[in-house]
Formats: sequence, structure tokens, C-alpha cells
Amino acid sequence: MKKLTTMVLTAALATPFAAIAEDSSDPITIPIHNWSSQIVMSNVVGQMFEEMGNNVEFVTTDSQAVYESVRLGDVALELEVWEGAFGASFREALSKGGLHDAGDHDAVTREDWWYPAWTKESCPGLPSWEALNACAEVFATAETGSNGMYLDGPVDWLKHGQERVAALDMNFTVVNAGSAAALWAHIGAAEAEKKPIVVFNWTPNFAEAVWPGEFVEFPAWEDGCDTDPTKGPNKEALFDCGNPSTGYLKKAAWDGMEDKWPAAYCVLTKLSFTNPQIAEMAKLVDTDELEPEEAAEEWLAANRAVVEPWMSACAS
Amino acid sequence: MTIVSDANLAVPEGGTPAMAVRRKVLIGLFGFAALLTVLRPWLPEALIRLPEAMLLPWSDWLDVGFAWVQNDLGLIHVTREIASWLGFLIDAAANVLYGKSRWPNFEAMPWSVVAGCLAVLGYWLGGWKLALLAGGTMVWTALMGQWKWAMETMSVIVVAAPVGFAVGLLIGILAWRSARFEKAMRPVLLVLQTLPFYSYLLPAVIFFKVGPTAASVATIAYSMPPMILMTIVGLKKVPPEVVEAGKMAGCSRWQMLRSVYIPSARTEILVGLNQVIMLALAMVVLTAFIGMPGLGAKLLAMMNSFKLGRSFEIGVTIVLLAVTLDRLSKAWVVKQPEHFEKGTPWWQRHILLLIGVATFVVFMVLAQVIPILNEIGRRQSLSMGSEIDVAIKGFLNLSWVKETTGFIRWFFNLWILIPTERALLYVPTAAVIAVVTGFCYALGGRRPALIGVLFFSIVAGFGWWDRAMITLHSTLTAVILAMVFGMPLAVWAARRETWSARMIFVCDTAQTFPSFIYLLPAIMLFGITPFTVILSILIYTMVPVIRYTIEGLRGVPPELTEAADMSGATRWQKLWNVQLPLAMPTIAVGLNQALIFAFFMVIIAAFIGTRDLGQEMQRTLAGTQLGKNFTLGFSVVFMALTFDIAINAWAEKRRRILGLA
Amino acid sequence: MNPVISAKNVWKLFGPDPESYLKSMTAGHSFDDIRADGYIAGVKDVSLDVSKGEMLVIMGLSGSGKSTLVRCFSRLHDITGGKIEVDGQDIMGLKEVELIELRRSKMGMVFQSFGLLPHRTVLQNVAFPLEMRGQDKHSTRDRAMEVVKLVGLEGREDYFPRELSGGQQQRVGIARSLAIEPDIWFLDEPFSALDPLIRREMQDEFLRLQAMLGKTIVFITHDFDEALRLADRIAIMKDGAVEQIDTPDKIVLNPATDYVAKFTEEVDKARVVHASVLVEDGSMGKGEPVAADATILSLARRLINDAADVIPVQMPDGNVKGMPRQAALDILLGEAK
Repeated sequence: MKKLTTMVLTAALATPFAAIAEDSSDPITIPIHNWSSQIVMSNVVGQMFEEMGNNVEFVTTDSQAVYESVRLGDVALELEVWEGAFGASFREALSKGGLHDAGDHDAVTREDWWYPAWTKESCPGLPSWEALNACAEVFATAETGSNGMYLDGPVDWLKHGQERVAALDMNFTVVNAGSAAALWAHIGAAEAEKKPIVVFNWTPNFAEAVWPGEFVEFPAWEDGCDTDPTKGPNKEALFDCGNPSTGYLKKAAWDGMEDKWPAAYCVLTKLSFTNPQIAEMAKLVDTDELEPEEAAEEWLAANRAVVEPWMSACAS
Repeated sequence: MTIVSDANLAVPEGGTPAMAVRRKVLIGLFGFAALLTVLRPWLPEALIRLPEAMLLPWSDWLDVGFAWVQNDLGLIHVTREIASWLGFLIDAAANVLYGKSRWPNFEAMPWSVVAGCLAVLGYWLGGWKLALLAGGTMVWTALMGQWKWAMETMSVIVVAAPVGFAVGLLIGILAWRSARFEKAMRPVLLVLQTLPFYSYLLPAVIFFKVGPTAASVATIAYSMPPMILMTIVGLKKVPPEVVEAGKMAGCSRWQMLRSVYIPSARTEILVGLNQVIMLALAMVVLTAFIGMPGLGAKLLAMMNSFKLGRSFEIGVTIVLLAVTLDRLSKAWVVKQPEHFEKGTPWWQRHILLLIGVATFVVFMVLAQVIPILNEIGRRQSLSMGSEIDVAIKGFLNLSWVKETTGFIRWFFNLWILIPTERALLYVPTAAVIAVVTGFCYALGGRRPALIGVLFFSIVAGFGWWDRAMITLHSTLTAVILAMVFGMPLAVWAARRETWSARMIFVCDTAQTFPSFIYLLPAIMLFGITPFTVILSILIYTMVPVIRYTIEGLRGVPPELTEAADMSGATRWQKLWNVQLPLAMPTIAVGLNQALIFAFFMVIIAAFIGTRDLGQEMQRTLAGTQLGKNFTLGFSVVFMALTFDIAINAWAEKRRRILGLA
Repeated sequence: MNPVISAKNVWKLFGPDPESYLKSMTAGHSFDDIRADGYIAGVKDVSLDVSKGEMLVIMGLSGSGKSTLVRCFSRLHDITGGKIEVDGQDIMGLKEVELIELRRSKMGMVFQSFGLLPHRTVLQNVAFPLEMRGQDKHSTRDRAMEVVKLVGLEGREDYFPRELSGGQQQRVGIARSLAIEPDIWFLDEPFSALDPLIRREMQDEFLRLQAMLGKTIVFITHDFDEALRLADRIAIMKDGAVEQIDTPDKIVLNPATDYVAKFTEEVDKARVVHASVLVEDGSMGKGEPVAADATILSLARRLINDAADVIPVQMPDGNVKGMPRQAALDILLGEAK
């Protein structure tokens, strides 16, 4: 077996001539995480690469630690960089060097306080945040006393729910779920009795199809709300706005990718998916119970027209 | 009976001078703690928690250290070289098992071939039952449409387990040869076993490349310690006459090791191998965070899309695989070589080998003709994920289930867990340290007490005191609950040989049971509350408590229980006065194991959501704050080590007094 | 002729720093004095020789140091002081390779609890020492089979030790120790773990082998009867020291210490003492001479019927010497007191 380290080094130090060379026959390693849309999208892109004659391999990784791996060239790219959840890790890795921004998807992301549709019956003023705060008591649990309970996302998504409750002086206790799964379990538990709940959620996401619901409308996001206290309604606090309702969804690439697999890299920079396309990918797995590979094949077959231009633009 | 009370009888009224000192020290420590707690409202803030200004920037120092090791020392080149070798082996295994396009470039092996051959192996090792278990597990896996995932998992395990075995054996031999090496190694092993998994994550990914290689390294690091310990035990147990016979036969040192020591310690070494396999399987889900492919990764993905049924099915497969490998390796441990009468023809001596080869060939051929024996696709599989989903959700919605669990949730959270947690957080740092020190002193004497002060002060110095206390609270509660529920069960089971055997079988199985399987239902029933956290680690604390209690009770010499019977003791008197006191040292080892497991499992608590060290460690993953991650990780390690040292010192002392050592 | 094994002032102390302790120790320290200083005297100032073809039996109760002494002879233990020579070589001066060579070519040892390797068959166990010295497979197998036959285990060579009875296991142990055709044969309580009946059978078997092979033997036992039955000479040990070393007859007739006397008290001396021991210079007596190695018991009829004062004994060197009848009768009937 060839030594990967030496290969990485040679690739990184390769002369500019490499740019016009053919793609390397080494497999392009694509990371997959534990949510469906990302897995299917990775498979879709992987199958496109394979069609172009590349070898592709998938590796399961943690969605935060992955940026360190992209930086080191252990994986070649990352297809879903969510502004809210992974922005911090991504920026940190950018500053250390080794990876770069490979452009945005058309899709926009939104991550914020959210409630399933049945909640509106107990708190009719929703989606306004003031109305939510007024009926905080219906969200109370045995453990939170008279305060309402808000289930925030895992701490490593850096969601600042706590700070927002303080800044807006809300009657809510913030509990952090440890994982996406814990969030779903919480919603699932409330579903049968239609118990009112408010939790952290995001779009695009399979949950929208399972549990229809809406985001809570907080004071609209202003740039600097997270750094400048004077922004937002509370002039003395940070995080007194809702999250941006149009967050980016980026692609990231290892710096060595362009030299090593120029054609594949070219496709990566060109490709861009929309919210409905991503939702469709997730649905094939989550609702139709296909395997990710099959889902990717099916999606590609149905959306040939979407991907063809990217691939032909990069054909040498 | 007499031996037990000897220690007490020998003490004159009022105690020996040593005991008087001991009593004074304990009164002093606990009194100090009580006083501080009572006076808390009037204490200055600096006396309640270590002021920020006094905290040293450990995280920054560690970050600098890591950067130096990684970049300047060039350690990463060494580890990457190792990783590339491991990667090569794993790829080769992956090719053989599921046809990954790597050397030696075979086709994917049909599932029926593996199932058939494993069944023959099972028969050879342990007769029909094992054949059925081994073959049945494979058939189940294939029918459920999980074949490829299972093989992906196995491709890492078949490399990680032998490497862990070999390296463990080597280190065990070195430790056995050099007492100094052994002494230096023990704390390292303990750190490996108690360092929470969140701390393995980043270094493994950076140094060993994300994917199966990092996963296998983490698996090896975690599963190796029992192998080392069993090797040392086995080598030390080789009868001196066998050793002398070897020397008199004129063995050189290498011949001694290869032909005398290792074969004679075969049983212990194989038990070590069994442990390696079991722990490797127990890590299948956790290592999925760093690239372990297969069942664990799928389980997490299913959980994250809220598929209770299919995650349950995967969980069952993991347990079945673990039980199969456990039984097979244990059967191998007890399997003795057998001899054949003179003149037995070759084919008869190797009949099972021949049957194995025949099975291989037959299924290979059949699989070409009947595709379903080759591969069962997702659509053909018998998975009943959505049906189980409905069933689970329906069950959770039954009114009596809701009422019962609702009561439990209310009772434990509001009356026990939340108040005790608040109380622990209320107590000033110095008071907690004093109590821990007193506890260590009472158990183990001066040395453990000094270690207790030192380690807990370090934890305080790391600056994550409140979170550390929440972690401590959940681990201690989980262990106490395990004692409350587990010990009576164990005492009951220990009364009969058959019950004990059954209970230990249940424990074995439960140990491999990833608590991720029942995590979602637990969250649905008990919410994201301290009780759910404790429930999720309870399985890991129950198992050692039950197992060691049974072993301790069954290990009481029969003469002593007979003597008690003949003295006319009732069953209770016998239990309290004879059996429990004698079993206590063993039970203490079980408690210690339970604590260590519980500390290690804070990662699962973090998966649910708490405000403990695990949560903060999760935060460090975003932004790769390696230094902070390690200060948090070592906060866990130092707490675990404190208890480990104190409890072991106590058990050791107790054994000496009872003449059991 | 030079002795095969020669021990001079051999000490073996167990404890923290035995060598410097031995150097600083004043002469005449007793076993208990040494123990009070925190050391155990395994072997205490022992000097003895074993000559070629002789069977020396070392007899002592447990803890008397007999096993330790024999392990010093084969350097399984390094001695603390004194000197042990085997075939004129100081064994403490041997390098590891030389020691291994010595054991591979000259020494065999049998152990109380057999010390068989559980994972090897009978044949493989017997072949073990041959394998270790790198003998080729074919001759190893032939030689091993030969010894297996010698100890009467033919047909069981493919059994594993756990499938054999205790007596059979010890036969394997004996066969293994003989495989390399050693000159010196150490046997450490080889029959102690066996039932009394089997023990007797094995002793006979052992005498048969010894008659055939004529090895130099150091045999350890705690059973005085066994010692008397087998030994050319007996060394009786207590607390690490040799109390008396002599032929069985002489030990029975003249116990050197009270400790030795205690063992001899219960012994039927007439079964042990031979005619040759009682001969005196002077009158040769009359009539048919009796054999020198006849026991007094076997001469009982003659002693009672023959009224002569002196009975002639045919000594091994060809001379005929006289044995006082009264002395023999005293042994036969017990001294009248």
C-alpha cells in the first residue's frame, strides 16, 4: 500500500502543471454523518464522481470533528456546512488553514425555536415570541416548575438559547438535548397526547414531513446581533434576535483537492442543491425506506437534467 | 466466622492509639466539611468556589503541548504510518468480508457461506447449541437486511481484536518480566479506561485519520487493558514445577516463553482475548463517531431520523453478534485438544475441517445459482422496522405505562435526583474535598487520602467544578441505585448454582447491549432529565455489581457456611455474619468497576443532554479545542482514579485481614 | 575417582540481601537466629559428595531444605555461598549458555507434581528436552518412543496428561527426564503424590530402571522407609543443615543425633542392617560363610540355630570375615535391657 502521508505531501506541493493533469486514481473520500439528507447528497455526488471515472469512498464521521479531517486531507470535502450548527467549526478550521470554502448551495437554512402544529391549540397567539412567552406555563414540566421548558439543540451546535431567554427576559428554562435523536424523542413523546412543546429545529429536515410545524418569530435578525449589544430590542444584551432565516449551506473542500482531482473539484464548485431537492433526498430514505445508495441512484435518475450541466462543464 | 470477628475482638475498649488517631482525623475532616456547609451563606465567594483568578490556564498549555507533539515532534508521521498499516489490514478484511474494492480483490463472500462455516466452527467448539447460535445469528443478520453493515463492523473488529490481543500480550509479558514496568503501566491503563470517549475523538481523528483506522485504534486502546492484566495473571500462575521442568530441559529464555509459559497460561490468555472481543463490540456504537463503519453508524443514523424499530433491530444484531463471539471464544478457552486412537485415518481426524470446506464449496456454488443465498437486498429483507415502531410507540402510550413511568419520573427527579444534585452544588468546594478525603481515609488509610486531596484539588483547579459535581452526582447515584436493585437480586441468585449461572449469562449479554437502543424510549418516557441519564448508565453499573456480588458470595468457602449452619444460624444470620463480610472484598471490586464504567459513560449522558462535563466536552468538539477537551476529560479521570485507589486499598486490606489474599 | 557432584560449605539464604548478610554473619548462627534477622536458611553450610553411579537419598521433613539443596545442584537456585562442582566444573561460574548446555546434555529431573506441560501429548512431553536442544525430528521421535516404552507407556503416547492416572503421569515425568540420557538424575519426591500401593510399584520400577541404567542419582524423599529401601547413602536434613550422611545400616545402627534417632526408633533394624556391616577383624568363624549383603532378618534361622560365637561372612573383596553372633542377635531381637 502506498503511504498516504507521502501522497498528501506530494499532492500539496505539486506544481501548477498538476492542475491540467487528469484526476488521480486514488479514491476521493467523502464523509457522511448521521442525518439522511447529508448521506444521500454525499452518495449522489459520489455517484457523479464515479461516473466521471473517479474512485470514491465513504467514511462515517462526527459532524464537528470532520473539519479537522478535511484540513488534514483525510477526507476531500464536506457537502453540508450549516451556518448555524457548524459555522464555528468551519471558521476555526479555515483560520488554521488546509481547507477552503467551495461555494454555497442554493438552499437556505433556518435554525430556530420551533413548535409542532398541535401546539397552536394551547397557545393561539403563536408564532409570535411574545405570545409564546405569555403562555409559558403550558410548556411547564415537573422539573421546570412554573417556567416553560424549551429544548435547545446540543451544546456543540452553539445555539445560545440560554442567552436569548435572558436577553428577552422570557419565562423559560432552557434544557439542552444531547443529540438530534433526543430532540426527536422529545417530539415523539409529545405527539400522542398533543402536548404543547417548543424545541430547537431546522430546515431542510425530514422532521418537517413527519411533524408539520412552524418556527417562532423572534425579533428579526440584524447583523451584529451576536457581537453588538445595541443591535436588537434589548440595547444591553447580545443574542436578542431570532437567528437569520436564510442561513447559508456551504460546501467545503480540502486545499489539495483541486490539484489532485481537478475535474471532481470543478464539479464540486459548480454543484448546488435547492431546499426541495434536499428534502426529496431525505424523503427517499426517511419515508420511502430506501438505502442511501439506492436513494441516490433514484434521485439522480429523476434529476439528470439538474446534474448534467455541472458535469459537462467540467469535462476536460 | 471467627476470622471475621477477630479483627474486632482484638481491640480493647476505647480502641488502640492508632484507632483514636483515625477517629480524630475523620471527625476533623467531616466536621470541617459540615461547618463550611453550614456557614456557606456567610462565606466569601472565594471560599465557596476557587476564584477564576486562581485557575491556571491548563487548556492553553495543553494546546501548546499538542501542537508541539503533532507538528514539531512529528509524532503524527509515526502514527500516520501505523494508521496506514492498520488501514491496509482493514481494507483487506473488508474485501474478503464484503467485497470492498481493495487487495486481494475477491468478490464479496455470499452471506450463506459465512453462516455455514460459522455454524461448523460453532459445532466443532461447542456442539449443536453453538452451531445454532452462530449460524442463526448470521441468518438473522442477513434476513434483516443488515449483512453488509455487519460485515463492515466485523472488518474493523477482525483487525482490532487480534492487534489488541497481540499488543496486550506483549505488554503483559513485559510487565510480568519487569515489576517496575508493571507499576508504571497500571495508572496508564486506568487512564485509558476512564478517559471519557469524547477525549479520544479528536486525537484519534488527527493522529490516525478519520475512518476505520481511527476507530480501530480507539477500540484497541480501550479493549487492551484486560488482555494485559489477564496475561500477567496467567504467566504468574504457571506452576513452578512446570517452569523448573522447562529449565531442566535446557530451554533458552525464548524457548521458555514460547514453549512453556505461554502454552501453560493458555486459559488466562484466551480469557483475555474474550474480553478484548467483548469490549471491542461494546465500542461499536461509540466508535461510529470517528468513522467506525457498519452497524454502529447505522444505529446512530436511524436514531437521528427517529426510527425506533430499525434501530432496535440493529441493536439486537449487535447483541447477537456479541453473544455469538463471546460463546465461541469461551468455548475455545475450555476446549482441550483431543487424541485419536492409532490408525485413525486422516479424513476421520479432520472430519469437521472437511465438512467446513464442503460447506464453503457447497454454499459458494449454491449462491451462484440461488441469488438470495448470495445477498439479501433491502427490499427482500424481513425487517419490520415500521411495525416495531408502531408497537413501541403504542406501548409507550398505554395509560398504565404512562402512569407508572410518570410516577417514577416525578418521584426520582423531584424527590431524589434534583434535590441531591442541588445540595451537592451548594456545598463549598473545600467541603467536598474534605468529605472525599475522609472517605478515602476511612477506606484506605493515609495514602489514598492524600491522593484524594491531590486529585480533587486538581479537578477544582481545572475550573469545571460544578460540571464535575454533576458528573459525580450521576455516577454515584447510578452506582447506589445499582446496589439497591442489583444486590438483592444477586443475593437471591447466589443461593443456587443454576440461578447464578443464568444471572451471570444475563449480565454477560447485558454488558454488550448498547444502551443507545433503549435511549430513545427512555427519553420519551422520562424526558431529558437526570433520571433518564441515570437510567442510561444504570445497565453498566448493574452488571458488575450483580456479577461480583454473585461471585463473592459463591466464593465463600463451603466449610464456613456449613459451620454457620451447624451453629444454628438462620439464613439471614448466615448472610449478614458470614457470607456478606467474606464476600465484601469481591463486591467492592464490583462497585469499583461500576464506578469506572459510569464515569466512562458520561458520553451517553451527553447524548441525552445534561449540564455535566460531557456536555462541555461536546462543546469542545466544535472548534477542536483539544486542550480544553483534555482538562475536562482528566477531570473525569482524576475523580475516577481517586475512588479506584481508595476502594482497591480497602478491598486489599480486607482480604488480608480475612486471609483471602 | 572424582565425585560427580561435590558441594563445599554451600549456603542458600532467602531474604532481602542474602549475600552481604552471609558475609557479615558471625559463625555459629543458628537457623532461628538467622530467621530472627529476617532471613530464611534454605541450605545451611552443607558439604557432601556424590560419586559416580551412587544413589544418594536426601531425607527430611517438609521445610528441611532438601528440595532447595537439590535445586542448588542443578542451579535452579543460585547459591549464596560455598561452591558446587559438577564433573569438576564450578557451576556458579557457568554462563547461561553453558548452563543450558549442561542441562541439555547431563541432567534430568523428576518433580513431585510431575511438572508436565498440559498442552502436549505424552510423546511430545517426553520429546520436549530433545526438541529444545534442536535434535532433528526423526531421531527425536525414535528416542522419545524408546523411553516411552522403557517406562511402560507404549500405546498411550498420544494421550494428554489430564487423561492419565497419577502413576502414569509420573512415568511420563520419568521418561522425559531420561530422554536425553543424562548422567545425573535428580528426583524430587517423585512418588510422594501417589497412593501407597502405586508408590510401592513405582519404587520397584525405579529400582529396575536404576539396575539397568546405573545413573548417578540424587533422590529426595520425606519417607524414611523409602530412603532405606532405595539408598546407597542417606543424608538426613533438618533446618537446612545435614544432620548425618551415611549408609542406611550405619544410620540405623549409630544415629548421630537425637533427631536422627527419632526416625530410626521405629525401624525394624534387622531388615536394614546387612551382615557386612557387623564384621570385625579377628576370628573368621566356622562353617558356610553368609553373603555380605544378606540382611540380619534373612539370617535369623542361622543365627538362632548356629551356636558359634562368630559367623563367617563372604565379603565382596573375596575375603571372609567374622560377624559376632551376639551383635547380630541383638539387632534381630532388640537389645535386652
